[in-house]
Amino acid sequence: MCDLCMKHGAGGKWYLNAEHYSNTIVERYGLRDYLLEQYKNFEQVSVRKVHGFSAVGLGYKLRIPIIGRMIKHTAKNMLHSKKPPKNPLKAENHIGQVVPLEDAIAIIEKCAVEPLIEKHCMCRYMSRGIKEACCINFGVMSEIIEKLPRFVPEKEKFHLSRKEAVDRFRAHNRKGYIGTIWFGPFPYINNLCSCQSPECAGIRPRLDFGIHSIYKAEYVIQMDRKKCSGCGHCVKRCPFDALSVHKDSQSLDIDLEKCFGCGVCRHVCSQQALHLLPRDMVAQVKGKY
Amino acid sequence: MRKKNKIKINYAVCGDGNTIDPRHCAKCLQVCKPAIFLLHQTVGASEKNPLDPQKWRVTPLWPSLCNRCMACVEACPEKAIEVL
Repeated sequence: MCDLCMKHGAGGKWYLNAEHYSNTIVERYGLRDYLLEQYKNFEQVSVRKVHGFSAVGLGYKLRIPIIGRMIKHTAKNMLHSKKPPKNPLKAENHIGQVVPLEDAIAIIEKCAVEPLIEKHCMCRYMSRGIKEACCINFGVMSEIIEKLPRFVPEKEKFHLSRKEAVDRFRAHNRKGYIGTIWFGPFPYINNLCSCQSPECAGIRPRLDFGIHSIYKAEYVIQMDRKKCSGCGHCVKRCPFDALSVHKDSQSLDIDLEKCFGCGVCRHVCSQQALHLLPRDMVAQVKGKY
Repeated sequence: MRKKNKIKINYAVCGDGNTIDPRHCAKCLQVCKPAIFLLHQTVGASEKNPLDPQKWRVTPLWPSLCNRCMACVEACPEKAIEVL
Protein backbone atom coordinates (compact mmCIF):
# COMPACT_ATOMS: atom_id res chain seq x y z
CA MET A 1 0.00 0.00 0.00
CA CYS A 2 1.39 3.43 -0.95
CA ASP A 3 0.97 6.56 1.22
CA LEU A 4 -2.05 7.63 -0.81
CA CYS A 5 -3.81 4.33 -0.08
CA MET A 6 -2.95 4.56 3.62
CA LYS A 7 -4.51 7.98 3.96
CA HIS A 8 -7.22 8.06 1.32
CA GLY A 9 -7.93 4.45 0.45
CA ALA A 10 -10.52 3.71 3.16
CA GLY A 11 -8.87 0.34 3.71
CA GLY A 12 -8.20 -0.42 0.05
CA LYS A 13 -6.49 1.26 -2.86
CA TRP A 14 -7.04 5.00 -3.16
CA TYR A 15 -8.26 4.78 -6.74
CA LEU A 16 -10.86 2.18 -5.83
CA ASN A 17 -12.39 4.44 -3.19
CA ALA A 18 -15.60 5.62 -4.86
CA GLU A 19 -15.72 8.72 -2.67
CA HIS A 20 -13.03 10.38 -4.80
CA TYR A 21 -15.19 10.15 -7.92
CA SER A 22 -18.36 11.66 -6.48
CA ASN A 23 -19.89 14.90 -7.64
CA THR A 24 -20.18 16.18 -4.05
CA ILE A 25 -16.42 16.86 -4.11
CA VAL A 26 -16.88 18.87 -7.29
CA GLU A 27 -19.50 21.05 -5.63
CA ARG A 28 -17.52 21.41 -2.39
CA TYR A 29 -14.41 22.80 -4.09
CA GLY A 30 -16.13 24.52 -7.02
CA LEU A 31 -14.22 22.37 -9.47
CA ARG A 32 -16.37 23.08 -12.53
CA ASP A 33 -14.87 26.53 -13.11
CA TYR A 34 -11.47 25.38 -11.90
CA LEU A 35 -11.23 22.52 -14.37
CA LEU A 36 -12.56 24.54 -17.31
CA GLU A 37 -9.97 27.26 -16.68
CA GLN A 38 -7.21 24.66 -16.23
CA TYR A 39 -7.94 22.72 -19.40
CA LYS A 40 -8.47 25.82 -21.51
CA ASN A 41 -4.82 26.66 -20.79
CA PHE A 42 -3.54 23.13 -20.35
CA GLU A 43 -0.59 23.34 -22.76
CA GLN A 44 0.74 26.44 -21.04
CA VAL A 45 1.37 24.78 -17.68
CA SER A 46 5.00 23.98 -18.49
CA VAL A 47 5.90 27.41 -19.85
CA ARG A 48 4.10 29.46 -17.21
CA LYS A 49 6.26 30.79 -14.40
CA VAL A 50 5.52 29.54 -10.89
CA HIS A 51 7.42 31.33 -8.09
CA GLY A 52 9.61 32.87 -10.80
CA PHE A 53 10.54 29.59 -12.48
CA SER A 54 9.06 27.80 -15.46
CA ALA A 55 9.81 24.24 -16.55
CA VAL A 56 11.63 25.39 -19.71
CA GLY A 57 15.15 23.92 -19.59
CA LEU A 58 14.39 22.19 -16.31
CA GLY A 59 17.35 19.81 -16.66
CA TYR A 60 19.76 22.76 -16.56
CA LYS A 61 17.92 24.56 -13.78
CA LEU A 62 18.09 21.50 -11.54
CA ARG A 63 21.87 21.45 -11.91
CA ILE A 64 22.24 24.90 -10.28
CA PRO A 65 23.51 24.37 -6.72
CA ILE A 66 20.93 24.97 -3.94
CA ILE A 67 18.44 26.65 -6.30
CA GLY A 68 18.10 23.41 -8.23
CA ARG A 69 17.25 21.57 -5.06
CA MET A 70 14.71 24.21 -4.11
CA ILE A 71 13.00 23.95 -7.50
CA LYS A 72 12.76 20.18 -7.14
CA HIS A 73 11.36 20.49 -3.63
CA THR A 74 8.79 23.13 -4.66
CA ALA A 75 7.69 21.11 -7.68
CA LYS A 76 7.21 18.01 -5.58
CA ASN A 77 5.26 19.87 -2.89
CA MET A 78 3.03 21.46 -5.50
CA LEU A 79 2.15 18.14 -7.09
CA HIS A 80 1.65 16.32 -3.77
CA SER A 81 -0.26 19.17 -2.11
CA LYS A 82 -3.41 18.15 -0.27
CA LYS A 83 -4.67 21.69 0.31
CA PRO A 84 -7.88 22.76 -1.42
CA PRO A 85 -7.01 23.63 -5.03
CA LYS A 86 -6.77 27.38 -5.62
CA ASN A 87 -4.91 28.28 -8.79
CA PRO A 88 -6.05 26.49 -11.95
CA LEU A 89 -3.00 27.76 -13.82
CA LYS A 90 -0.59 25.61 -11.80
CA ALA A 91 -0.32 21.83 -11.85
CA GLU A 92 -1.41 21.71 -8.22
CA ASN A 93 -2.58 18.56 -6.47
CA HIS A 94 -2.04 16.56 -9.64
CA ILE A 95 -0.59 13.24 -8.65
CA GLY A 96 -1.13 9.90 -10.32
CA GLN A 97 -0.33 6.23 -10.20
CA VAL A 98 0.32 3.52 -12.75
CA VAL A 99 -2.51 0.97 -12.88
CA PRO A 100 -2.49 -2.42 -14.57
CA LEU A 101 -5.35 -3.55 -16.80
CA GLU A 102 -7.27 -5.41 -14.07
CA ASP A 103 -7.44 -2.42 -11.73
CA ALA A 104 -8.36 -0.07 -14.56
CA ILE A 105 -11.29 -2.32 -15.47
CA ALA A 106 -12.40 -2.29 -11.82
CA ILE A 107 -12.24 1.53 -11.85
CA ILE A 108 -14.36 1.82 -14.99
CA GLU A 109 -16.89 -0.79 -13.90
CA LYS A 110 -17.31 0.12 -10.25
CA CYS A 111 -16.08 3.62 -9.48
CA ALA A 112 -16.27 5.92 -12.49
CA VAL A 113 -19.19 8.33 -12.56
CA GLU A 114 -21.24 8.71 -15.76
CA PRO A 115 -20.91 10.22 -18.33
CA LEU A 116 -17.79 8.51 -19.64
CA ILE A 117 -15.96 9.94 -22.64
CA GLU A 118 -12.77 9.28 -24.53
CA LYS A 119 -10.86 12.42 -25.45
CA HIS A 120 -7.71 13.25 -27.37
CA CYS A 121 -4.63 12.76 -25.25
CA MET A 122 -3.39 16.21 -24.28
CA CYS A 123 0.20 15.17 -23.76
CA ARG A 124 0.47 13.65 -27.22
CA TYR A 125 -1.09 16.76 -28.71
CA MET A 126 1.31 19.16 -27.02
CA SER A 127 4.45 17.08 -27.44
CA ARG A 128 3.81 15.46 -30.85
CA GLY A 129 1.10 17.59 -32.42
CA ILE A 130 -1.01 14.48 -33.07
CA LYS A 131 -4.56 13.84 -31.99
CA GLU A 132 -5.13 10.36 -30.65
CA ALA A 133 -8.19 9.48 -28.62
CA CYS A 134 -7.11 7.39 -25.66
CA CYS A 135 -7.82 9.18 -22.37
CA ILE A 136 -10.97 8.17 -20.56
CA ASN A 137 -12.68 10.86 -18.47
CA PHE A 138 -15.46 10.61 -15.95
CA GLY A 139 -18.15 12.83 -14.49
CA VAL A 140 -17.77 16.59 -14.59
CA MET A 141 -14.57 16.39 -16.59
CA SER A 142 -16.51 14.90 -19.50
CA GLU A 143 -18.85 17.89 -19.57
CA ILE A 144 -15.89 20.27 -19.55
CA ILE A 145 -14.03 18.57 -22.37
CA GLU A 146 -17.03 18.98 -24.64
CA LYS A 147 -16.54 22.75 -24.43
CA LEU A 148 -12.95 22.46 -25.71
CA PRO A 149 -13.09 21.37 -29.35
CA ARG A 150 -9.38 20.55 -29.72
CA PHE A 151 -9.75 17.58 -27.36
CA VAL A 152 -12.98 16.19 -28.80
CA PRO A 153 -12.61 13.41 -31.39
CA GLU A 154 -14.46 14.41 -34.56
CA LYS A 155 -15.02 11.11 -36.30
CA GLU A 156 -15.18 8.46 -33.63
CA LYS A 157 -17.92 8.03 -31.10
CA PHE A 158 -16.61 9.53 -27.88
CA HIS A 159 -19.48 9.08 -25.44
CA LEU A 160 -18.90 5.59 -24.11
CA SER A 161 -20.82 3.06 -22.10
CA ARG A 162 -18.90 1.28 -19.35
CA LYS A 163 -18.43 -1.78 -21.52
CA GLU A 164 -17.13 0.26 -24.46
CA ALA A 165 -14.76 2.11 -22.17
CA VAL A 166 -13.35 -1.18 -20.90
CA ASP A 167 -12.91 -2.43 -24.47
CA ARG A 168 -11.14 0.75 -25.58
CA PHE A 169 -8.89 0.73 -22.55
CA ARG A 170 -8.03 -2.91 -23.08
CA ALA A 171 -7.14 -2.22 -26.73
CA HIS A 172 -4.81 0.64 -25.73
CA ASN A 173 -3.22 -1.46 -23.00
CA ARG A 174 -2.52 -4.29 -25.45
CA LYS A 175 -0.89 -1.78 -27.79
CA GLY A 176 1.59 -1.06 -25.01
CA TYR A 177 0.16 2.15 -23.56
CA ILE A 178 0.65 2.43 -19.82
CA GLY A 179 -2.54 2.75 -17.77
CA THR A 180 -2.44 5.66 -15.31
CA ILE A 181 -5.02 7.15 -12.96
CA TRP A 182 -4.85 10.78 -11.84
CA PHE A 183 -6.01 13.02 -9.07
CA GLY A 184 -6.83 16.19 -10.90
CA PRO A 185 -6.99 18.12 -8.56
CA PHE A 186 -6.86 16.22 -5.26
CA PRO A 187 -9.26 14.84 -3.98
CA TYR A 188 -11.12 14.40 -7.30
CA ILE A 189 -10.25 11.57 -9.69
CA ASN A 190 -11.32 12.20 -13.27
CA ASN A 191 -8.70 10.84 -15.66
CA LEU A 192 -7.81 7.31 -16.69
CA CYS A 193 -5.06 7.72 -19.24
CA SER A 194 -3.22 5.38 -21.57
CA CYS A 195 0.21 6.95 -21.59
CA GLN A 196 3.28 6.62 -23.70
CA SER A 197 6.80 7.48 -22.66
CA PRO A 198 8.46 9.95 -23.39
CA GLU A 199 5.36 11.91 -24.48
CA CYS A 200 3.54 11.76 -21.16
CA ALA A 201 3.98 14.96 -19.18
CA GLY A 202 3.40 13.06 -15.95
CA ILE A 203 5.92 10.26 -16.39
CA ARG A 204 8.70 12.43 -17.82
CA PRO A 205 9.51 14.43 -14.63
CA ARG A 206 9.97 11.20 -12.72
CA LEU A 207 12.06 9.34 -15.30
CA ASP A 208 14.23 12.20 -16.49
CA PHE A 209 14.38 14.59 -13.55
CA GLY A 210 13.61 12.49 -10.47
CA ILE A 211 10.55 14.53 -9.45
CA HIS A 212 7.94 12.20 -8.00
CA SER A 213 5.08 13.14 -10.28
CA ILE A 214 3.67 9.63 -10.51
CA TYR A 215 3.66 6.63 -8.19
CA LYS A 216 4.63 3.17 -9.33
CA ALA A 217 1.80 0.65 -9.42
CA GLU A 218 0.75 -1.48 -6.47
CA TYR A 219 2.23 -4.40 -8.38
CA VAL A 220 5.54 -5.54 -9.77
CA ILE A 221 6.30 -7.95 -12.61
CA GLN A 222 7.43 -11.49 -11.90
CA MET A 223 8.43 -14.22 -14.34
CA ASP A 224 8.17 -17.96 -14.51
CA ARG A 225 11.66 -19.15 -15.41
CA LYS A 226 10.45 -22.51 -16.65
CA LYS A 227 8.09 -20.97 -19.18
CA CYS A 228 10.28 -18.11 -20.48
CA SER A 229 11.85 -18.85 -23.86
CA GLY A 230 14.04 -15.72 -23.91
CA CYS A 231 12.49 -14.39 -27.14
CA GLY A 232 12.82 -10.78 -25.95
CA HIS A 233 9.49 -9.43 -27.23
CA CYS A 234 8.74 -8.01 -23.77
CA VAL A 235 12.07 -6.16 -23.67
CA LYS A 236 11.05 -3.98 -26.61
CA ARG A 237 7.68 -3.38 -25.00
CA CYS A 238 8.93 -2.12 -21.62
CA PRO A 239 8.95 1.71 -21.58
CA PHE A 240 11.03 1.82 -18.38
CA ASP A 241 14.00 -0.34 -19.50
CA ALA A 242 13.32 -2.76 -16.68
CA LEU A 243 13.65 -5.89 -18.80
CA SER A 244 16.69 -7.29 -20.61
CA VAL A 245 17.74 -10.63 -22.04
CA HIS A 246 20.94 -11.94 -20.51
CA LYS A 247 23.60 -12.41 -23.20
CA ASP A 248 24.94 -15.81 -22.15
CA SER A 249 22.05 -17.62 -20.56
CA GLN A 250 19.40 -16.28 -23.02
CA SER A 251 17.03 -15.77 -20.10
CA LEU A 252 15.12 -12.71 -19.04
CA ASP A 253 16.53 -10.34 -16.39
CA ILE A 254 14.07 -8.15 -14.52
CA ASP A 255 15.28 -4.98 -12.84
CA LEU A 256 12.67 -4.71 -10.09
CA GLU A 257 13.85 -1.24 -9.07
CA LYS A 258 12.96 0.07 -12.51
CA CYS A 259 9.69 -1.79 -12.95
CA PHE A 260 6.61 0.43 -12.62
CA GLY A 261 4.22 -2.51 -12.57
CA CYS A 262 2.16 -1.41 -15.57
CA GLY A 263 1.93 -4.98 -16.85
CA VAL A 264 1.91 -4.15 -20.57
CA CYS A 265 4.76 -6.63 -21.17
CA ARG A 266 2.39 -9.48 -20.34
CA HIS A 267 0.40 -8.92 -23.53
CA VAL A 268 3.27 -9.79 -25.86
CA CYS A 269 4.43 -12.90 -23.98
CA SER A 270 3.46 -15.93 -26.04
CA GLN A 271 4.46 -18.32 -23.22
CA GLN A 272 2.36 -16.61 -20.50
CA ALA A 273 5.53 -16.43 -18.42
CA LEU A 274 4.94 -12.98 -16.96
CA HIS A 275 2.52 -12.09 -14.18
CA LEU A 276 2.02 -9.30 -11.66
CA LEU A 277 2.50 -9.72 -7.93
CA PRO A 278 1.51 -7.16 -5.27
CA ARG A 279 4.51 -4.93 -4.53
CA ASP A 280 4.20 -5.56 -0.79
CA MET A 281 4.85 -9.25 -1.32
CA VAL A 282 8.24 -8.70 -2.97
CA ALA A 283 10.79 -7.84 -0.29
CA GLN A 284 13.18 -6.00 -2.63
CA VAL A 285 10.69 -3.34 -3.69
CA LYS A 286 8.29 -3.34 -0.76
CA GLY A 287 7.23 0.21 0.04
CA LYS A 288 9.09 1.71 -2.95
CA TYR A 289 6.48 3.59 -4.92
CA MET B 1 32.21 18.70 -22.53
CA ARG B 2 29.46 20.72 -24.13
CA LYS B 3 27.75 22.95 -21.60
CA LYS B 4 24.23 23.48 -22.86
CA ASN B 5 22.18 22.62 -25.90
CA LYS B 6 20.65 25.74 -27.35
CA ILE B 7 17.74 25.29 -29.70
CA LYS B 8 16.54 28.40 -31.47
CA ILE B 9 13.29 28.69 -33.35
CA ASN B 10 12.68 31.61 -35.68
CA TYR B 11 9.24 32.76 -34.59
CA ALA B 12 9.02 35.21 -37.49
CA VAL B 13 8.55 32.12 -39.67
CA CYS B 14 7.04 29.52 -37.37
CA GLY B 15 3.97 30.44 -35.38
CA ASP B 16 0.22 30.91 -35.47
CA GLY B 17 -0.45 33.44 -38.25
CA ASN B 18 3.09 33.33 -39.73
CA THR B 19 4.41 31.23 -42.62
CA ILE B 20 3.82 27.89 -40.87
CA ASP B 21 1.12 27.14 -38.36
CA PRO B 22 2.76 24.72 -35.91
CA ARG B 23 -0.57 23.02 -35.18
CA HIS B 24 -0.79 21.79 -38.76
CA CYS B 25 2.90 21.29 -39.45
CA ALA B 26 4.26 19.75 -36.23
CA LYS B 27 7.03 17.97 -38.17
CA CYS B 28 9.72 18.80 -35.62
CA LEU B 29 7.57 17.45 -32.81
CA GLN B 30 7.03 14.18 -34.57
CA VAL B 31 10.63 13.45 -35.60
CA CYS B 32 12.12 14.28 -32.21
CA LYS B 33 12.92 11.00 -30.48
CA PRO B 34 13.08 12.32 -26.90
CA ALA B 35 10.05 14.61 -27.61
CA ILE B 36 11.64 17.77 -26.25
CA PHE B 37 9.34 20.26 -28.00
CA LEU B 38 6.10 21.66 -26.65
CA LEU B 39 3.20 23.00 -28.69
CA HIS B 40 1.40 25.62 -26.64
CA GLN B 41 -0.39 28.92 -26.56
CA THR B 42 1.65 32.01 -25.72
CA VAL B 43 1.58 33.06 -22.10
CA GLY B 44 3.20 36.49 -21.77
CA ALA B 45 0.47 38.61 -23.29
CA SER B 46 -2.45 36.59 -22.02
CA GLU B 47 -1.35 36.77 -18.39
CA LYS B 48 -1.63 40.54 -18.37
CA ASN B 49 -4.72 40.72 -20.47
CA PRO B 50 -6.82 37.60 -20.85
CA LEU B 51 -8.56 39.11 -23.88
CA ASP B 52 -5.35 39.22 -25.91
CA PRO B 53 -5.34 36.67 -28.71
CA GLN B 54 -3.42 33.58 -27.68
CA LYS B 55 -1.15 32.29 -30.41
CA TRP B 56 0.17 28.81 -30.86
CA ARG B 57 3.90 28.27 -31.02
CA VAL B 58 6.56 25.60 -30.47
CA THR B 59 9.02 25.87 -27.60
CA PRO B 60 12.02 23.59 -27.01
CA LEU B 61 10.95 22.66 -23.49
CA TRP B 62 13.54 20.09 -22.39
CA PRO B 63 16.77 21.09 -24.21
CA SER B 64 18.87 19.14 -21.71
CA LEU B 65 17.45 15.90 -23.13
CA CYS B 66 18.31 16.79 -26.75
CA ASN B 67 20.66 14.22 -28.28
CA ARG B 68 21.64 16.52 -31.17
CA CYS B 69 20.47 14.16 -33.89
CA MET B 70 19.44 17.23 -35.96
CA ALA B 71 16.32 15.50 -37.24
CA CYS B 72 14.23 18.59 -36.43
CA VAL B 73 16.57 20.86 -38.39
CA GLU B 74 16.22 18.60 -41.43
CA ALA B 75 12.48 18.13 -41.04
CA CYS B 76 11.56 21.82 -40.79
CA PRO B 77 10.14 22.90 -44.18
CA GLU B 78 11.15 26.55 -43.63
CA LYS B 79 14.51 25.91 -41.91
CA ALA B 80 13.36 27.80 -38.85
CA ILE B 81 15.14 25.62 -36.28
CA GLU B 82 18.77 26.01 -35.31
CA VAL B 83 20.61 23.77 -32.84
CA LEU B 84 23.69 25.40 -31.32
